[in-house]
Amino acid sequence: MASLVLKKLGGMALTLVAMSLVIFMLVELIPGDAAQRILGQSATPEAVASLREAMGLDDPALARYARWAGGVLRGDLGESAYMRGVRIADIFWRRVGASITLAAASFLIFVPLSIVFGVLAGIRAGKLSDSIISFFGLATMALPEFVSGILLMALFSVRLKLLPIASMIPMGESLWQNLEILVLPALSVTFVMFGYVSRMQRSAMIGVMKSDYVRAAVLKGLPRRRVIFRHALKNALLPTVTVIGMNMGWLFGGLIVVETLFGYPGLGSLTLSAVKTLDLPLIEACVLFITAVYVISTTATDLLYGFLNPRIRFSGGAYE
Amino acid sequence: MTNKPLLSVRNLGVRFPSPDGEVVAVRDLSFDLGRRETLGVIGESGCGKSTLSYAIMDYLSAGARRSGAVLFKGQDLLLKSEREMREIRGNRIAMVYQNPYSALNPSLTIGEQLDEVSRAHRNLGKDEAREASLTTLRELSLGDPEGVARRYPHQISGGIQQRVCIAMALLCRPDIMILDEPTTALDVTTEAVILDIVAGLKERYDMSMIYISHDIGIVNKVSDRVAVMYRGEIVEHGPQERIYERPEHPYTRALINCMPRAGVKKELTALNTIPGYVKRRSADEEGCPFAERCVKRSPGCEDDYGLAELEPGHFAACGRAYADERPWTREAEAAARATGAVPEIAGAEVREATSDENGPEPLLSLRGVGKFYRNQKKTVRALDGVDFELFKDDVLGVVGESGCGKSTAGHVIAGLAAADRGAILFDGGEIAGSWQRRDRRALREVQLIFQNPGRSLNPSFSVQAILERPLKKLLGVKDPAERRRRAVEMLRKVDLGEEYLSRRPRRLSGGEKQRVALARAFLSSPKLLVCDEATSALDVSVQASVLNLLNELQAESGASYLFISHDLNVVNYVSDHVLVMYLGRVCEYGRRDEVVTPPYHPYTEALLSAAPEVDPARRDKPIRLKGSPPDPTRPIRGCPFAGRCHKKIGPICDETPPPRLALSATHHIYCHLPPEGLQGAVRL
Repeated sequence: MASLVLKKLGGMALTLVAMSLVIFMLVELIPGDAAQRILGQSATPEAVASLREAMGLDDPALARYARWAGGVLRGDLGESAYMRGVRIADIFWRRVGASITLAAASFLIFVPLSIVFGVLAGIRAGKLSDSIISFFGLATMALPEFVSGILLMALFSVRLKLLPIASMIPMGESLWQNLEILVLPALSVTFVMFGYVSRMQRSAMIGVMKSDYVRAAVLKGLPRRRVIFRHALKNALLPTVTVIGMNMGWLFGGLIVVETLFGYPGLGSLTLSAVKTLDLPLIEACVLFITAVYVISTTATDLLYGFLNPRIRFSGGAYE
Repeated sequence: MTNKPLLSVRNLGVRFPSPDGEVVAVRDLSFDLGRRETLGVIGESGCGKSTLSYAIMDYLSAGARRSGAVLFKGQDLLLKSEREMREIRGNRIAMVYQNPYSALNPSLTIGEQLDEVSRAHRNLGKDEAREASLTTLRELSLGDPEGVARRYPHQISGGIQQRVCIAMALLCRPDIMILDEPTTALDVTTEAVILDIVAGLKERYDMSMIYISHDIGIVNKVSDRVAVMYRGEIVEHGPQERIYERPEHPYTRALINCMPRAGVKKELTALNTIPGYVKRRSADEEGCPFAERCVKRSPGCEDDYGLAELEPGHFAACGRAYADERPWTREAEAAARATGAVPEIAGAEVREATSDENGPEPLLSLRGVGKFYRNQKKTVRALDGVDFELFKDDVLGVVGESGCGKSTAGHVIAGLAAADRGAILFDGGEIAGSWQRRDRRALREVQLIFQNPGRSLNPSFSVQAILERPLKKLLGVKDPAERRRRAVEMLRKVDLGEEYLSRRPRRLSGGEKQRVALARAFLSSPKLLVCDEATSALDVSVQASVLNLLNELQAESGASYLFISHDLNVVNYVSDHVLVMYLGRVCEYGRRDEVVTPPYHPYTEALLSAAPEVDPARRDKPIRLKGSPPDPTRPIRGCPFAGRCHKKIGPICDETPPPRLALSATHHIYCHLPPEGLQGAVRL
């Protein structure tokens, strides 16, 4: 197991380095000259040339990559190209914090819900309760976030007036003083994830309930509760863990639609505005962070899977 | 037995709904099981053997309907609620299954899976339950039960897994144990050990058993009485020796004669087969279920049908087929056999032996072939310096326990895995290790068929596409009409018709799939066919017909076979030469009759001794190997078999590689013992 962990971590580091190179190169490929863009079309060629020199744009690509990557490693993400004089680190980490909070809130709602209803549908496959859960899952999965989000707003904010319609944080306050703004975006995310994860859990459960070892457990005369929770669930959770893990990256950095809809100050909306303003250093920082979350969560999922599955945890020869 | 029956099944019926109307899985089935009695149940797959056991346990799929009565200690199990059945399952009636690996939960330790039985039924505390589990494991002579209890199922070998499952069934000292093909997934040597354990259980634990198997040899070893099931009915039922020696029902006779058994060789006879297949039974079908496939069918069969007691304790559903041979005595039969009045196997034609007056010419030679699989720091030596020869127009049977390297040898020869060392000489020249580097001729001339045709035939291809592919790719036949003509011609040779061309593998039975696989292989006129457990997944009657077909195709084409199988009776039947392997090395090689008769390698002797004998009168004193083959990653200095050998002479076995001992020009053994020490009593 220890060697497995080391191997996975090594692979993760390699992936991150490779991805940072790719991101750097992609941004390089964006047409137009960065200095020209900053100064505008009316700038004199001399001014552009001097800014190029000041920004080090004339250095070889590898040297620029090394400078950028070195800065990232020291925690220096550089300066925004659009908002002159603003250090990216100053705005970036606050947005990351908000995104993590939203991701965590969504996670706490959709994971237990999907698993509980998925298991329920799985052990009652073909019955009415299964049909209701499956229908609901499919319906919520089919609704795009901007539709379900608007429905939620219409219900909870406009009609019931329970929750704020926009998830803005008033000036001078922190997210922690405005936790109610999390509810609607988190519910929208749940709508997207619930159908997917609960269906996965349902089919895993059905497969496991048909397995020889569950049959053996039933014919040992064990109580049904023990058969389901001890024998079936432990194995049926494995594919679900993988699915949830694979979606963690999206949950942290991909909530662009949800954040935009609710005006939530997260990483997704920051990335969107960086792309809109062609703020290259900010794009690089956002994309690199999202990539890192993907890579780390995938690695963590692999390790967790290995830990939950004794066949991987204790691989090796048979015991005589 | 005159005691009051413990379990009394009365007119049991099981029906399943299906899109084409109800299907009858078990029909009007009655039997009694006395205390300390073992009832063996045999029949082909699809005959309702497993359904019978799940009907008793009330574990049938939703929609199944049961009728009749299952009286257990006087109470009808069919009337019990789910809660009441829970008290009986695992407690009064316990089950052991075919595949111990899949019957054990991969995520729970062995200890937990054992303990929970006592905790659920005997209200034991944690420590008491573990103590009970350990005691039972110890009673099944399992060394280090604490170590086993701590482990997960994948960490113990198949033989130990099955012993764990038996221990699990024994924990509550049940009245009845139902064993459903408990050794089918195990090696012959492990099977022999498990059968020894099972045979001793009923006396030791004062219980009754129902032992389900497709193999009459195995059932004979453990049963007092045998019931033969066909299409959901018991067609014959009686004392074990009687069913073997004097089967009354044509199905029983046909089934016994299908099995390749000791002394039956291809030169002497083709195997008996049963025409047709086990059909599903609809609810409105009446009369004899076997009539359609019966060789003794006659007018009036349908009316004169139903279980009748033909002699005390021996019931058969058909009393007329062999009525003229009654009354029967063993002495009369022996006398008849002696005068040649009764042929050894009825209805079988004799095949002439392969002639090789000019001395055999090798087609394939392996020279010091090694194949190593590296896994992190460890190396599995799947093949370690293997030499052997396969002659033209000859069948070489390869036997050994799983992990002995027999399949790897097949893969290396077919080019699926490239050898790491040594050379493969084929038809006069050396051929490349991997198939990618082999030329068309080599690809065409070496063909392969696998154990499970369902998985080796592409499910999205039609039979036509499957058969035409080698014609197109290997033979370069461009004309579609010509390809089709050849495909149909080959289908006929494997006894399938043109109508099969458009079918997909899914719509074929197991035997038909294997015939298609054979047709595909033979379309490229191979010189060598590697058959990797080609008949192991088939029912005995289907196996018999595929073996006959293999023999016919071989006689006709002159191809050579490398016939890999764990089943010694089958290898003995089809082979001209036999190779015995252990842990990636050769133990013994020679002409078949030289290998299966003494002198032989101690490992060969143990394998022969473990093979289930169909004829109860031919059982010998068994040699039982301890444990399983050792860890293949451990380097071996001496003889690989030394650790389990019952004839080990001393440290020389562990330290020095055994010499090649030539017993004749065609027969050699790798052993330190002199030829005199290699005698033994087992013969096949």
